[in-house]
Amino acid sequence: MQTKRTIFHNRWLPYLLLAPQLAITVIFFLWPAAQAVRQSFLREDAFGLKTEFVGLGNYLRLFSDPSYLNAFQVTAVFAVSVAALSMGLALLLAVAVDRVLRANQSYTTLLVWPYAVAPAVAGVLWWFLFNPTIGILPYALEQLGYDWNHNLDGTDAMILVVIAASWKQISYNFLFFVAGLQAIPQSLREAAAIDGAGPVERFFTVVFPLLSPTTFFLLVINVTYTMFETFAVIDAATEGGPSQATNILVYKVYRDGFVSLNLGSSAAQSVILMFIVIALTFVQFRWIERRVQY
Amino acid sequence: MVENRPLLTLLAHLALIAGVAVVAFPVYLAFVASTHPSSAFLSGTLPLVPGDHMGETYSRMLFSGVSTSGAPPLWLMMTNSLIMALSIAIGKIAISILSAFAIVYFRFPCRALAFWMIFVTLMLPVEVRIVPTFEVVANLGMLDTYAGLSIPLIASATATFLFRQFFLTVPDELVEAARIDGAGPMRFFRDMLLPLSRTNMAALFVILFIYGWNQYLWPLLVTTDESQYTIVMGIKRLANVADADPQWNNVMATVILAMVPPVLVVIGMQKLFVKGLVEQEK
Amino acid sequence: MARIDLDSVRKIYPGGVEAVKGVDLPIEDGGFVVLVGPSGCGKSTLLRMIAGLETISDGEIRIGGRRVNDAEPADRDIAMVFQNYALYPHMSVRQNLSYGLRNRRMARDEIARRVEETARILEIDAFLDRRPKALSGGQRQRVAMGRAIVREPAAFLFDEPLSNLDAKLRVQMRGEIKQLQRRLGTTSVYVTHDQLEAMTLADTLVVLNGGRIEQAGRPLDLYRHPDTTFVASFLGSPAMNLLSARVSGGDLRVGSLPLAARLPVPDGPVTAGLRPEAFRLLPDSTSGAFRLDYVEELGSTRLLHGHLEGQRLVCQMGIEHPLADRMTLDLDPEALHVFDAERGRRLDTAWQRAQIRSLA
Repeated sequence: MQTKRTIFHNRWLPYLLLAPQLAITVIFFLWPAAQAVRQSFLREDAFGLKTEFVGLGNYLRLFSDPSYLNAFQVTAVFAVSVAALSMGLALLLAVAVDRVLRANQSYTTLLVWPYAVAPAVAGVLWWFLFNPTIGILPYALEQLGYDWNHNLDGTDAMILVVIAASWKQISYNFLFFVAGLQAIPQSLREAAAIDGAGPVERFFTVVFPLLSPTTFFLLVINVTYTMFETFAVIDAATEGGPSQATNILVYKVYRDGFVSLNLGSSAAQSVILMFIVIALTFVQFRWIERRVQY
Repeated sequence: MVENRPLLTLLAHLALIAGVAVVAFPVYLAFVASTHPSSAFLSGTLPLVPGDHMGETYSRMLFSGVSTSGAPPLWLMMTNSLIMALSIAIGKIAISILSAFAIVYFRFPCRALAFWMIFVTLMLPVEVRIVPTFEVVANLGMLDTYAGLSIPLIASATATFLFRQFFLTVPDELVEAARIDGAGPMRFFRDMLLPLSRTNMAALFVILFIYGWNQYLWPLLVTTDESQYTIVMGIKRLANVADADPQWNNVMATVILAMVPPVLVVIGMQKLFVKGLVEQEK
Repeated sequence: MARIDLDSVRKIYPGGVEAVKGVDLPIEDGGFVVLVGPSGCGKSTLLRMIAGLETISDGEIRIGGRRVNDAEPADRDIAMVFQNYALYPHMSVRQNLSYGLRNRRMARDEIARRVEETARILEIDAFLDRRPKALSGGQRQRVAMGRAIVREPAAFLFDEPLSNLDAKLRVQMRGEIKQLQRRLGTTSVYVTHDQLEAMTLADTLVVLNGGRIEQAGRPLDLYRHPDTTFVASFLGSPAMNLLSARVSGGDLRVGSLPLAARLPVPDGPVTAGLRPEAFRLLPDSTSGAFRLDYVEELGSTRLLHGHLEGQRLVCQMGIEHPLADRMTLDLDPEALHVFDAERGRRLDTAWQRAQIRSLA
């Protein structure tokens, strides 16, 4: 681990400086995580009177539970759709901004502000727009002959949360793509132009390959985002329904823990989620390490 | 731009205008809805231009609240959100800059362990350890308090790494010169690192303020007392009522009020914000 | 003001690398000592150990007779000028100068007096209220010097302070540092890898190599009587010619060419050192042993690059000397240095006895 050539010598000061951060980490992160692990091996009876050790029972039960496997599938569909939609649109806009030299600051301002909108607010906004009785989009779809109702139709509900979650995430992806594009040396594009590549060809043969580190980074970030931070989008727009069509893993942990009070199962789900985050973080850091070598 | 292709440039402009429109569209409709009386929604179609009840709706929502939904006036919720957002942002910056200072400028037993413990927080988002964390906060008697709202969210690996990264770019000679000039560690921290970190702190502040303001699940769990509600979680409560008895104007006014402060922060400090965000990646 | 003493000072880094391998160096009060050597020779480490920025693994450092091995840098009564100046970027020049004094809780009017005085000496009064960013490289360098002077310390430590300046400014600042040091009379230790800077500044020149002192003394003594081939090749530009030679019966030959006779040196292979300016080449197109390859014109002089008995040789001569493809060597034997071929130590001591011979 890197440090300075010159450092200060003090026996207790560094611990004092670290104390607040470490105290919070231990009390609110490590201890609860350990509790989750412990809890995941226990099962309470219906009245909460007796707790017994069940070993991997909770886990085994989860993986034979169709609703949990469904949540996995829903999460995967959700994550892939959001990543594809928000990154695709963001890349398109970033390339456009990169081409428009003069006005790009104003366009950027007009495009980045949704970053500041709370996921819960994004959920409510699109829920309102898609509201079957009052919403403008179902009205428009009806003119086209489509009967929209996300309260009854699982696919409609999934489309709703995907749009709401992507809408909020476009600005983030956009900023990173713009930064990535600006980091590509102009001379490379000029060289490609002299070699006879037109703008479209240049994008696919030069620009996009050079953007791949950014793209990969954003892919990991977007998957993490849809898996965890979109809790509020789901809660505000669909509450996981209809019939669990949008019940993503994080939402299920919350429902099972706080609504159904099924603590053992909820804890086991938490532990599984932790492993997923650890894997994602690991991938992200491997990528950063690799990038350092450039 | 390598060569001049007016058609492509035009296309770029069109794409951007369409993008801006799509992004702004829902918010525009929300704003329109918030300016009409609730009777306007009974017809089943949504008006597309602003109405004339804006002042009335907003002042009602801000200062008296809606009795049927059992929610307090929004200014109270906004104050709560502000306190939470500020505590989280300032708290995170404070503890992160201190930790980064300790990790970069000292060598001590268990330094790597401390580093990894901070790193671990990256892997445990609140949503993942929600039940046991709630239990800890409840056991500590921190439910329905500002401390309970903010402290559990204050630990931050990202901010610590950002400061660490920045400290590593501060030339070694600066520390050496300061040491020769008689500055001990804390004086060096105060006189050199703090002033030099100003831009980084400001950039981080923007991001963390938004993070804090936009918290949803956590305040939903730890607040039961109306006087502790934050505005982002309050929307849900109003919206649930609206579903049964549509008061769309009230809900959308709340939505607009909930997003105005963070959006203003982002637009007002765009340069800093972009810098802070893009640098997190490094 | 104080003397500085280094007694068998060693630096061993964690991991076992020995950067300084036992250095003894007495520095007189008011002396100007320049530590010079290639990168990695330990000169900066040694300076930083005097400053207190590196711990001392073994041995002792005394400043003004006081052992300072465990003293904080701030308590050693030294000031340091860094290569990149290390000015505090968020402070004005005035604050940069006064920071160390304020930390020592000096009276405010005394600080003001010293800052004014220093600014006047260094002619930086005009931009006392500017930030370092708004200054040119030379001005920053002065501020860095000012930060040292204002403290009125027992010793100045300079760590390659001129290497970030362009060539012209470097020469000018070199002169100013020398004058300033004379005027203030403050003991100074100066680190550089530039032999010209070292020669011009030093009262005492210390050549370091591989963590050891190779030779120490007055600059001209080192130039004229280098103890080793290392010192010989390090000082002077262009560098001294070092030719493989052989001595038998007191006669020194490079290849088949005799260069000197009756040397008080045992038989065997040696290294012969010749300063480029210490001999002349005379045109002799038939029997000249020196074959000219090319000429570099320097204006007032020129450099002749060529071969002597298959070994490279450079000669520096005035432009009035005639040139030819083959030339003979005209050598003053006093200018010949003879070193042990293996270890590079100087062999010839009683030089004057060598007989003058002009050679083919």
